[in-house]
Amino acid sequence: MEIHLNRVDYMQVGVTSQKTMRLLPALGKKATQKVAIADHDGILTCFGMKKGEAVPVFKTLPGQKITRMDLGGAVGTPQEKIFICSGSQVRGFTKKGKQFLTFEANLTETINAMHVSGADLFVCASYIYNHYCDCKDQDYYLSGDKINDITCLSSENLTRPAPVLACQDRVLRVLQGSELAYDIEVPGPPSVLELYSKEGGEEILYGTTDGKMGLVQVGERSAATKWEIDNDKKRGGILCIDTYDIIGDGVNDILVGRDDGTVEVYGFDSNNEPTLRFEHVLSESVTSIQGGCVGKETYDEVLTATYTGWVTGLTTEPQKAEAGPGDEVRMSKETQSKVEALRAELEQLQLKVLQGREQYQQISQSSTAVSAVPVFSINDKFTLCQDDASYSLTLEVQTAIDNLLLQSDVPIDLLDVDKNSAVVSFSECDSEQPNGNFLLATYRCQANTTRLELKVRSIEGQYGTLQAYVTPRLQPKTCQVRQYQIKPLSLHQRTHSIDQDRPMNRLSLVGQFSFAEIHAWVVFCLPEVPEKTPAGESITFYFHNTFLGTQLEATYCKGEGHFRSDNISTISILSDVLSKEATKKKINLNISYDINDDSVSHTLKMIHPKLEYQLLLARKVQLIDALKELQVHEGNADFLIPEYRKILDESANLLEEYKKQPAHLERLYGMITDLFIDKFKFKGQNVKTKVSSLLEILDNYDLNSLLDFFNEA
Amino acid sequence: MLVPIFTLKLNHKINPRMVTIGKFDGVHPCLTAATQAGKVFIHNPHTRGQRPVAHRLSQSTQDSDISLLNINQAVTCLTAGLLGPNTTGDTLLVGSQTNLLAYDVHDNADIFYREVSDGANAIVLGKLGNIPTPLAIIGGNCALQGFDYEGNDHFWTVTGDNVRSLVLCDFTGDGKNELLVGSEDFDIRVFKEDELVSEMTENETVTSLCHMHGSRFGYALANGTVGVYDRTARYWRIKSKNHAMSIHAFDLNADGVVELITGWSNGKIDARSDRTGEVIFKDNLSASVAGVVEGDYRLDGQQQLICTSVEGEVRGYLPASKDLKGNLMDSSAEQDLIRELSQRRQNLLLELRNYEENAKVCLIKTNSGMGVIPANTQLQTALSVRPASEVQKAHVELSISTPNETIIRAVLIFAEGIFEGESHVVHPSVQNLSGCIRVPITPPKDIPVDLHIKAFVGGKTSTQFHVFEITRQLPRFSMYDITADSSAAPPTGWVTFSINDRPQRVVMWLNQNFLLPEGVDSPDATFNSLRGGGLLSISMASNGQITLRTDDIDLAGDLVQSLATFLAIEDLSAEADFPRYFEELRTTLTEVDEFHSVHQKLTAAMADHSNYIRNMLVQAEDARLMGDITTMKKRYRELYDLNRDLINEYKIRSNNHNALLVCLKSVNQAIQRAGRLRVGKPKNQVISACRDAIKSNNVNALFRIMRAGTAPSRG
Repeated sequence: MEIHLNRVDYMQVGVTSQKTMRLLPALGKKATQKVAIADHDGILTCFGMKKGEAVPVFKTLPGQKITRMDLGGAVGTPQEKIFICSGSQVRGFTKKGKQFLTFEANLTETINAMHVSGADLFVCASYIYNHYCDCKDQDYYLSGDKINDITCLSSENLTRPAPVLACQDRVLRVLQGSELAYDIEVPGPPSVLELYSKEGGEEILYGTTDGKMGLVQVGERSAATKWEIDNDKKRGGILCIDTYDIIGDGVNDILVGRDDGTVEVYGFDSNNEPTLRFEHVLSESVTSIQGGCVGKETYDEVLTATYTGWVTGLTTEPQKAEAGPGDEVRMSKETQSKVEALRAELEQLQLKVLQGREQYQQISQSSTAVSAVPVFSINDKFTLCQDDASYSLTLEVQTAIDNLLLQSDVPIDLLDVDKNSAVVSFSECDSEQPNGNFLLATYRCQANTTRLELKVRSIEGQYGTLQAYVTPRLQPKTCQVRQYQIKPLSLHQRTHSIDQDRPMNRLSLVGQFSFAEIHAWVVFCLPEVPEKTPAGESITFYFHNTFLGTQLEATYCKGEGHFRSDNISTISILSDVLSKEATKKKINLNISYDINDDSVSHTLKMIHPKLEYQLLLARKVQLIDALKELQVHEGNADFLIPEYRKILDESANLLEEYKKQPAHLERLYGMITDLFIDKFKFKGQNVKTKVSSLLEILDNYDLNSLLDFFNEA
Repeated sequence: MLVPIFTLKLNHKINPRMVTIGKFDGVHPCLTAATQAGKVFIHNPHTRGQRPVAHRLSQSTQDSDISLLNINQAVTCLTAGLLGPNTTGDTLLVGSQTNLLAYDVHDNADIFYREVSDGANAIVLGKLGNIPTPLAIIGGNCALQGFDYEGNDHFWTVTGDNVRSLVLCDFTGDGKNELLVGSEDFDIRVFKEDELVSEMTENETVTSLCHMHGSRFGYALANGTVGVYDRTARYWRIKSKNHAMSIHAFDLNADGVVELITGWSNGKIDARSDRTGEVIFKDNLSASVAGVVEGDYRLDGQQQLICTSVEGEVRGYLPASKDLKGNLMDSSAEQDLIRELSQRRQNLLLELRNYEENAKVCLIKTNSGMGVIPANTQLQTALSVRPASEVQKAHVELSISTPNETIIRAVLIFAEGIFEGESHVVHPSVQNLSGCIRVPITPPKDIPVDLHIKAFVGGKTSTQFHVFEITRQLPRFSMYDITADSSAAPPTGWVTFSINDRPQRVVMWLNQNFLLPEGVDSPDATFNSLRGGGLLSISMASNGQITLRTDDIDLAGDLVQSLATFLAIEDLSAEADFPRYFEELRTTLTEVDEFHSVHQKLTAAMADHSNYIRNMLVQAEDARLMGDITTMKKRYRELYDLNRDLINEYKIRSNNHNALLVCLKSVNQAIQRAGRLRVGKPKNQVISACRDAIKSNNVNALFRIMRAGTAPSRG
């Protein structure tokens, strides 16, 4: 079942946050709906479409940036009251724009997630959850990691409404009053929650920052996962979800908006499995998505709001034929008047801007005046991609980016991204002091680039800062710097549990340090650890290495810390960094090791299949060209042995696979070398001189000879 | 939306840039391309199952429409077209590193097979200037050669570096074709027969050229730039992170004007307006584009644009029909217009907000993270020449400073041709932040460069900085330090010529083209070359005779050309002597002879060996048939040894050949350099006289010509 949707742009507001655009319920059947959207300028706009033109219903005055929007209303009535939150304040508006509620939540932090249901108001600031009923404090909960979204379930099967929090540490926390009922493990950090059915029910949809999606059924004591969709196509993280029957088969479809601009529609096949039915790529993050009817009566559409504030519809209304009988491309009257109005507005603005420029020039003559340009907003994301163990950095600005300067004080590799059309140029850099630059690269962007995607590969054990200087095409020209930490164990990712049967090495620290201090060190070493010191006496975190698959368990409390890993290099890096950090704070550490020699051969055996696969792949790829030449020369490939014929048949796949993992083999070699050095470091031996013979063995790789070499040396 | 009218999968790889279409029987256009293993394939879907197989041509077993042509050498370029006067169809021309083959596909016969010692990197077929017959012109290592249908070379000249692209077009508008040559020294040169009429300097190897219409032509560079020139003026250019593999002119939107079609290394094809460079159409192939050509492949009287990928995918496009109204892309124009206007409105609003907020801050003077700087901050930049010191090599120093307590967080310099990439960044560490940054610049060549400087200025802890954008020009001869006295030995090389101009004009030229701290007021000056080339002295006598002394013949040539352009001199003859360089050249010439004789010896040895092999193989097989296993083993062992010897000899031969190529290149360069000491007609005379001297192997005459600038009278 194919659907075809056409894109229509409705209007543009300021920069928007996640989930800040909603469709108000339709008044009658088949009538168009009004759109409410709130932006970073603090303006709440409500508009409807009339004859292709956006007609505002109301617009509030600018103020603090609005971070969320939800619709509410008394139970049983249309949910048409608009609730927005900015700072720690929640405000309510009627659909006519009359403000009927101002509520100060008295939180020290800004609210970043909100859910309204009848008289209940649920708000979350980074770690705090609060529940109010009729603006009276009800429940309170402190989460272990950042809360990204909240929703609340109510159903006949549940004794009381169950709020669900989407937390950064890859769990959905189901609450009962002020207590945690249980948590649900999900495959990635969840970024958005949505009720599967708008009428209630116990099913919720979640989307993750690494682009996965799933449906869970929440029960009183436990939850069951109905289905999960992986992110095979490497699309962006999910920012918003809605359910709406856009296909028109009587079943609600799932509408998904992602941070790389992808809009997807999933329908359900006869087995009730979700399948992708439609896909469209906008050029910027899709922050909100809704299904409904806006542009024209009887035509359903998917309405999206993007980061830079564009409200765009993907409508089922067929596009009109553009060319008329004349030579000119005929424009509809509506469009013509729209264009004229825009042009007139532009002219006026141009004049104003010219005045502004002149004044700005005049100020520059004065010796006392200062020049200060307001901070422009950058939407950035720096995440570890699990499948190729590299970091992806995305930057998005509300106007076109002119250029980007990347600077790093650690050795990192910059990888090419197909989507990125900017011209990159690497500058010579002086890694020696005084400047200590390991990477200086400029990206000169093509016109109209508002979003840039980069890929960066780090090496574990080498840590520092990556800085991005973003210069947009906006007068007066300014640039903003963003910093990203490359942590010592940069390739590690949080996980829910580890395999306890593996041979493990242990690193133990004892000393005069507080819980907060050791937590700060762990935050310094490992990604995805909440910055806030956890509640309670002690804490355990589990990690796995995305590249090798080895694992790490960190358990610590005041005065004591234990780290267990099957990878000896992980232990070595941790011990180096922790002792360095402790020395900085002048804290005496008592470090002890418990090295398990089996762990090294265990790790080597874990690397073995990867290494063997890569070596075989490299060998096959090397042969492809020669074999193809033989094939052309002889006219066919029948005379080749089956193995070679197979390589020829699979050549396209092999090449693609090979291209996907640049320098994979070199990385594996590097890690084996580290393993070798670290193994003997703990024995007090320096084996750097033997590395060349190790590399020789790797060149003629065989697991047994490698194991022997590790044991003998 | 324009869609391909046909798509083919040819199952043969296609070498990039080696694709053409030829009507070999005079009627049916055939897609012809070089593929792996030294073969050329000809795709002829029009006359199925009626082709004889013989000589070089063989039928591909994979695809009956394809015939394969065995060249047995790596193909470097190919083209097809009318060469001879009495042929039925087009002639196929295939160039390799050592040979040029002209082949009649229809009659299945070689027309000529010529050895070309300078190689053939690029080829073009057509009429040049006043030469009556069409020529196949090949560009090799610094040399250009044109052959007629009999294989006689009617045209020969040298150029500055290895030729990478050629095109014929009427550049001067005189109704006759000029030859445009793109080479590895980043220049596009225009030859009116063997006279150099124009030179345009780009900033990377010129990989493709194509004629658009009139005097307009498109070009592509190795760094991903494509653009359009009209004569010597560049109309537009764009740069992509991908490489342009092939460019072609084709009127895709049927508006009567050709567009520049570019095939990219990522498989993208785009059509750009010849006036603005605006993309009017794009499509994607699954692999890198190999070549873009045009032909009437469906035999319906309409030309199609045919794009090929390296994996053998072929797509053909017809020009857009009238009802598409030139709108070839899959988007609605009105939506785009509205979006563009709204975007502009948004930008203006944001700019306006910037000024408003700025004014507010001026009133209340609060300091937030905005990176507030005094409004009267202005950047000062200065360029100066720095001789080598103990810690740093000699360089040109660009110093950028702020007048107050603000700091410069980083400096980005975008400039073409002087950095490894297109930009250079200076980013001091946090401890070393200051209001002054010195950037050492060492331009590798003597070219004038615009430095586009972006400096990030703010406070020490700011996260947002003001960006100052300044453009400074680096003069052509910036790497020369004017010295008062010199203890270094004076240069032995010199060139001298006379001009009819006032000394003041020469002084002006000096001041404009050199980095002089105070400027000079006399045309006599001595410089120290920072690239380690010793001294350079310029002197002018009262009779207008100028003498340049330097040991660097390239520099002398650059100076002569620059001065001649400045003073608008059309013809300039000169006398010169560069003893050291000439001595080197003499050695090279003897080396060339040696390499030639070694080459002959090796070829003879190879022939001997192949005879042995034949004998040995017969003997071995005899022994096998007789059941004499011992002898057979012995023979095969010997055969194996012989094979190894052959491989070794091959290595020697190829080394010898490479060395020979290097020498030949430097000989060609020497002729070019001698030419560059002169301007206009004297220049062409020198080049052709040198060529004659080399042809007749008269080394002494060669040097006489290079010194005196004219051919010695024969007698």
